[in-house]
Amino acid sequence: MTNYYKVAGHEFGVSIPDGNPLCGQLSQYEPFRIEKGENCIFEVEVVDKVDDPADKEVVYAGPEDPEQPLVKLYKSGEKWIYEMAVCSGRPLAARMESNAAFTRGRVETLSEKGALFGLNNALMLMFAFRTAGMNTLEMHASVIVNGGKAFLWLAASGTGKSTHSKLWLKHIPGSRLLNDDNPIVRIMDDGCVEVFGSPWSGKTPCYRNEHYPLGAFTRIRRASFNKISRLSNFEAYALLYSSSSGFKTDPAMGDALHATFEQLVMKCPCYVLDCLPDEEAARVSSAELLSIKD
Amino acid sequence: MKTIEGFKMRSLGKDYIIMGEGASQVNFNKMISLNSTAAYLWGEVADKGHFSEDDLKELLLRKYDVDEATAAKDAAYIAGKWVEFGIASR
Repeated sequence: MTNYYKVAGHEFGVSIPDGNPLCGQLSQYEPFRIEKGENCIFEVEVVDKVDDPADKEVVYAGPEDPEQPLVKLYKSGEKWIYEMAVCSGRPLAARMESNAAFTRGRVETLSEKGALFGLNNALMLMFAFRTAGMNTLEMHASVIVNGGKAFLWLAASGTGKSTHSKLWLKHIPGSRLLNDDNPIVRIMDDGCVEVFGSPWSGKTPCYRNEHYPLGAFTRIRRASFNKISRLSNFEAYALLYSSSSGFKTDPAMGDALHATFEQLVMKCPCYVLDCLPDEEAARVSSAELLSIKD
Repeated sequence: MKTIEGFKMRSLGKDYIIMGEGASQVNFNKMISLNSTAAYLWGEVADKGHFSEDDLKELLLRKYDVDEATAAKDAAYIAGKWVEFGIASR
């Protein structure tokens, strides 16, 4: 079975052998499904076997944090090899190989339990790497929509992005969750910055095929008080850089991502919110963010 | 002195930054901001790889209206900062 999807305006295809249990596990992708992919930027195929070449060289190995998924990126000749586990110390969930241009990926799932996790991560990686040169960022953020604009909360895992979204949902009228972990931010051809929902949303099942103009990027920082401040261009750049997927050490991808970061820093309001996990935090942030003038 | 491989200077509006890039700097997680003078100096020496504090002093004298003692002091200061930040070594 081959399905086609459109996320943030980018089409891609996913092929899974008939009878593979994954065929029945793709509900999070359903809102993004399209009948036919005419302009696919990449295709990923689930296969029985992906070679584990002896000559592969590590180009990136994520931190071994028992709370976080473990990812390793290798190169073998022109090919990229990507391995992932649910967390360090657990067996590999999947291995993917991709061509140099990230237009064709082949994924082998290595455990039935981790199959969907493996496919999700493989697709997220292909999407982030392939769209890096298309003014598109796959970001690590929780997103609230209010007043027709999207507000992103950015921070390392466990800092309180989702918590701040929940505070808006509870206390700030007109708030909706667009995505809780991996929204897509794209600078459109007309220069407008749009925030898109995606089929990837961490632990919160929130897969909305909707998009809104960007309101602001806000870094969440735990504090013993509530205060929101504008970031300098340097701070804003560092925030976007550390919150976006992509392999920045690859020269071509690094150049492309930089061009996107620089445009966003110059165009978009960027803040830091020092906050407690309380109602006042949402009042303080919304008072500022909802009064931003175009 | 020499510049350490894997650092790329980029513009950010009217300012400049250096990030660790390239496979040798995968674990570099700092961002260095540069004023226009520092950006001028880094731009001149980064491609060559090798430089001395004297080279920096000469570059300052060539572009700015400063006396030699001030240029020497500024060159030593910035060279020290680059070593401290890990983007150059002695």
